[in-house]
Amino acid sequence: MSNKVNRRDFLKIMGWGGVGATLAGCDMPTTVTLEEGKEQVTSYLVPEEYVIPGVGVYYASTCLQCPAGCGLHGRVREGRILKLEGNPESPVNQGKLCQMGQAGVQTHYNPDRLTRPMARKGSGLTPVSWDEALSMIQSKTSGLAGERFAWFTDTVSGHQAVLMDAYRESIGSSRHYVHEIINNSVARQVNQDMLGDPQPHLRFDKARVVLSFGADFLGTWQSPVHNAVEYATFREAPRGVLVQVEPKMTLTGANADLWVAVRPGTEGVFALAVANALSAKDPARLDGLPDKARQLIRRYDIKKASRITGASGDHIVKVSGWLAERSPSLVIAGASAEGHEHGYDTVAATMLLNIILGNIGKTIESSGTFPFPQLAARTGGTKDLIDFAKAVDDKELDVVFFRGANPVFTAPETLGLKEKLNKVGFKVAFSMFEDETTRMADLVLPMYSPLEDWGTHVAAYQPGPSVIAIQQPLMQPLYDQTRGFGDVMLSLLKMQKAAGYSDYPDYYAYLRDAFSAMPGSLKNGASDDEFWASVMQKGVLAVDTGEGRLSANVIDFDLPENPAKEGAYHLVPSARLGMWDGRHANIPWLQEAPDQISKVVWDSWAEIHPNTARKLGVKTGDAIKITSASGTIEANVYVYKGIHPDAIAVPMGQGHEAYGRYAKGRGVNPLKILALNTEGKTGELAHHGTEVQVSRTSVRDAMVQFGGSETQMGRKIIATVTADVYERTEGEA
Amino acid sequence: MFNTLQLPSGHITHCGARFVNRFLTPSLFLLVFSALLVLSAGAAHAESVVPNAVPPVGTHDGDDVPQPIEFPHNTHVDVNKINCMYCHTYARRSPVAGIPPTSKCMGCHSVIATDKPRIKKLTEYWENKEPPPWRKVHDVPDYVHFTHEKHLKRFVFDNEGMEVENVSEVCAFCHGDVKNMTVAHKVKPLNMGFCRRCHEANEGPFDCWKCHK
Amino acid sequence: MSLSNILEDWSRYRKDREDGGFHDYEHMWGMAIDLNKCIGCNACSVACYAENNLPVVGREKFSKGQAMHWMRIERYWDEPDLGDDRISEFNQHGANFIPMNCQQCNAATCEPVCPVAATYHTPDGLNAQVYNRCIGSRYCSNNCPYRLRFFNFYSYYEDAWPAPLEMQLNPDLSVRDKGVMEKCTFCVQRIRSVKDKAKMDNRPVADGEAMPACAQTCPTSAIVFGDLLKHYDPDTNAPETKVTKMWRAHQVELGKPRQNKQNPELRGYRVFEGLNTDPCVMFLERVREV
Repeated sequence: MSNKVNRRDFLKIMGWGGVGATLAGCDMPTTVTLEEGKEQVTSYLVPEEYVIPGVGVYYASTCLQCPAGCGLHGRVREGRILKLEGNPESPVNQGKLCQMGQAGVQTHYNPDRLTRPMARKGSGLTPVSWDEALSMIQSKTSGLAGERFAWFTDTVSGHQAVLMDAYRESIGSSRHYVHEIINNSVARQVNQDMLGDPQPHLRFDKARVVLSFGADFLGTWQSPVHNAVEYATFREAPRGVLVQVEPKMTLTGANADLWVAVRPGTEGVFALAVANALSAKDPARLDGLPDKARQLIRRYDIKKASRITGASGDHIVKVSGWLAERSPSLVIAGASAEGHEHGYDTVAATMLLNIILGNIGKTIESSGTFPFPQLAARTGGTKDLIDFAKAVDDKELDVVFFRGANPVFTAPETLGLKEKLNKVGFKVAFSMFEDETTRMADLVLPMYSPLEDWGTHVAAYQPGPSVIAIQQPLMQPLYDQTRGFGDVMLSLLKMQKAAGYSDYPDYYAYLRDAFSAMPGSLKNGASDDEFWASVMQKGVLAVDTGEGRLSANVIDFDLPENPAKEGAYHLVPSARLGMWDGRHANIPWLQEAPDQISKVVWDSWAEIHPNTARKLGVKTGDAIKITSASGTIEANVYVYKGIHPDAIAVPMGQGHEAYGRYAKGRGVNPLKILALNTEGKTGELAHHGTEVQVSRTSVRDAMVQFGGSETQMGRKIIATVTADVYERTEGEA
Repeated sequence: MFNTLQLPSGHITHCGARFVNRFLTPSLFLLVFSALLVLSAGAAHAESVVPNAVPPVGTHDGDDVPQPIEFPHNTHVDVNKINCMYCHTYARRSPVAGIPPTSKCMGCHSVIATDKPRIKKLTEYWENKEPPPWRKVHDVPDYVHFTHEKHLKRFVFDNEGMEVENVSEVCAFCHGDVKNMTVAHKVKPLNMGFCRRCHEANEGPFDCWKCHK
Repeated sequence: MSLSNILEDWSRYRKDREDGGFHDYEHMWGMAIDLNKCIGCNACSVACYAENNLPVVGREKFSKGQAMHWMRIERYWDEPDLGDDRISEFNQHGANFIPMNCQQCNAATCEPVCPVAATYHTPDGLNAQVYNRCIGSRYCSNNCPYRLRFFNFYSYYEDAWPAPLEMQLNPDLSVRDKGVMEKCTFCVQRIRSVKDKAKMDNRPVADGEAMPACAQTCPTSAIVFGDLLKHYDPDTNAPETKVTKMWRAHQVELGKPRQNKQNPELRGYRVFEGLNTDPCVMFLERVREV
């Protein structure tokens, strides 16, 4: 820093005397320093271990923003949690975190948190004490015929799930409905039937070609951060090829080398056509397949498949060429493949490709056997939602406990769940927020945030070594009238006089005891205290799942000859990394983070193809009306060529009628107008199978989009090279 | 529980830009410092015994700050020769010096001078499990990054010929002659000019981003 | 950057860049961002909001281009698809994603236009913004070819963090008020604390020790951050940083408006380097199988 001209002289030169008057204050004590004695400082009574004021300390925990179970390191300073990072010890996310995980602090500090228990008195909810709340539960459940009680939750696992089961059993009920709108229930069933493992390990890092049928594995599928970590290896030399086949471009599709738009519901035809092309070159590939499967494959030659799917025949040839040349490969199927009446058969067709290509055991590995089945994840999809609605309608339930899931928001309108729920006499919501379901509850129990509570979690998809992920509080609870879920469960179990729980003062004590009771093989000779401390420090406990073997059983399946309904528009309720199923619509950072594809913020939109736009006479920003048999939604359109002309995509997550200031009254919820078609073999909702009419409508509020330019206009902002150049320059490395 | 001690959010006007003091005191158990703070004051600057250092120039006539307990710095430092860093233990390993935890006071005062009224008051706080509500005397604005540890390193630990016993002389650069004070009186301006002159005289860094955040 | 630099030395400064630098740099923080790995997921952007006290401006202000995303993901569709869908019916090669944060130009166009020298180059090779000095003329943001400077048109703190959201604010940096320009700092507060720590231990800063929030969270590790200075100092015994290795492997050098690569097929490039801004962020070209 040179001081040849001092600042005041400088200001004179520039003639900015007016500003100078403000700036001249730099040496004036009254404006620069803080007034002494105006603020209070509070010291520790007793110093906390590890804590040095002014220095951040990192503690390990587990992210609960989605069911993937990533490990966290939370930066804590002066008792506040400031920032979340990925835990490098976790084999799931390996030190990385997605935007939803980063925003975990805004779930925790959300200004719309519920802070006290409330009970329904008349039409409204009024505050009650915890004692009153718990005794209400006790009076409603005593003498209840067992099966008239049910849990309705999102994915749960670990010791919380053990306590939930124990409570359910103490009442005598077997009903636990698990609902996730973003799920892979159909694929799990196919995996179970064909491989003998519902959730095998997938090795993106080993694959040379990944052919994905609508599986948004970088965005919303299974374990996005883990998949992204493996994807990075997949893209290193020798660089793998990613092909994505789907009607609407997902985040994964946006990263594909080849993105193939197909008519909604025709993914299976594309898969069989690829098998057909493979067998045309090498008939031996079909050796050992049952006749039925061979016939199916033979049914779709390239020409026919191209006509049905709307994909170009060249693409089928190209994809089969890559698969033939580069091994091993990996074929996966996600929401758009599963979400039709023939979803099971579509996924089976894609799995058949894995068998033909010999990928089983190479890029698809057995997950072994998790040694603690009582801790394993209870997964679910939409079948439980439909079953639950029926049970409610048939007046089979008197008391329902809701936790995590928000079925009033995620259920299609035609299911009539909101009205039917009035038939349940006593609804209890274990919730952090007043969402649509919580709003209907008779008793609302405010929960600790995930960053305030204890817990253990076993993700449904366990990539690599299986772990029990540890959740420990990163800070003191913000509100003294909130409670930990495990603590409440223990209170309820004690009230039920269930055997074996009376000795635990709280959930922490229960967990300590549970870890002391873990088999010695996990402790490596450590004492109980040492073992606990090391587990807390690492944030994960690796468990041995043993060697498993996958079968390659080609099941009997069939596809409709032409599964597409031409000339009809299909609604794609697309999942976004960020909003997820709508549970993150109350996080301002995620509302303001532009959608990866459309770059829209704070709103819903409808994605349509330019051909569709021309037919409708609309351009980006205009509004359209989307009508199904069960309702109408309106949204501004985003016109681009990342969607099949027969598809209209509206992202899930917005359209909340409650759920706090950031979520409420923003955008539309495409789930509301879904038809109640179900997948034929699993009973899951065929959520991509809704036909809709589309028409132009008058202008809504303008859509807010980031950026202004859809292309680079010839500027070299992002340059692209071909893969052969990459192999030449970096292939040796 | 949290939120029991919400501080008023002060606005500071400085050099054309306004900044918000958004640092909170969330807990009775856990303390918050946004920047340096030391409860001390002084009157006249004593002859320096710090080698290789030019003490900063500047004075300030601060207000009297009433404290919950009239802590006599002079008795501790001057009479009993207790090193500043014995109590302000975080100063050498953190940006902030820290107020000693109440347990530290009680370490001595559960046996020493227990009959004195101030100690009785302290004992009362201790038994109620509440740290005394001290008032901040020294502070810099929230847009300033000041670190005690590096200043101590430069003037004490890495300073050839400097005796650690005399650390109070280094503290006195910014906090005045605390060892001859009872409570809290701010005698140094702790403004940018004060910092800048000292950095000039002692060849401290001059990069804006060293101190402004 | 003092006034004398602005008035007298600017042309010399610009010219001297090509001869290896003007400052006695302590560090030269830089990045290498691999677009072959970037998936455009937004994790970096949200991590930046969390680390740097970035306010959420809301829908209306966002529509006016007032969003405060220091790190943003830009998305472009392939050029041949522009406008006319007869060329290609679909975006068959996916999207083009690029994370854009301040390029920390060594010959930054924003610096010389600041009337109060509130933006200047630090001995760490960072393009600094001193909030206290800033008077809000916005000349710098007008002059930034990357549009990576963000102005506080409002006192966002008034409603961006309703209680208790404000408890998340990072005490290591200011909450900016109305009338102040702000920008990506390469998480200077993290660099500062790492340097302080190294200094306390009497050792140099290790490679990978300083890590901005975006690089730390990036699920595909597409963002590599480190000290570029050792690139220019073969005499030093310190091991080469990862980022330096990448720059060298791709034959991209600081101080050049045009790279004369021995192997022109190498992927490294800097955005708009022809403007002679001399950015410290190198991108590796996106790769597509065709």
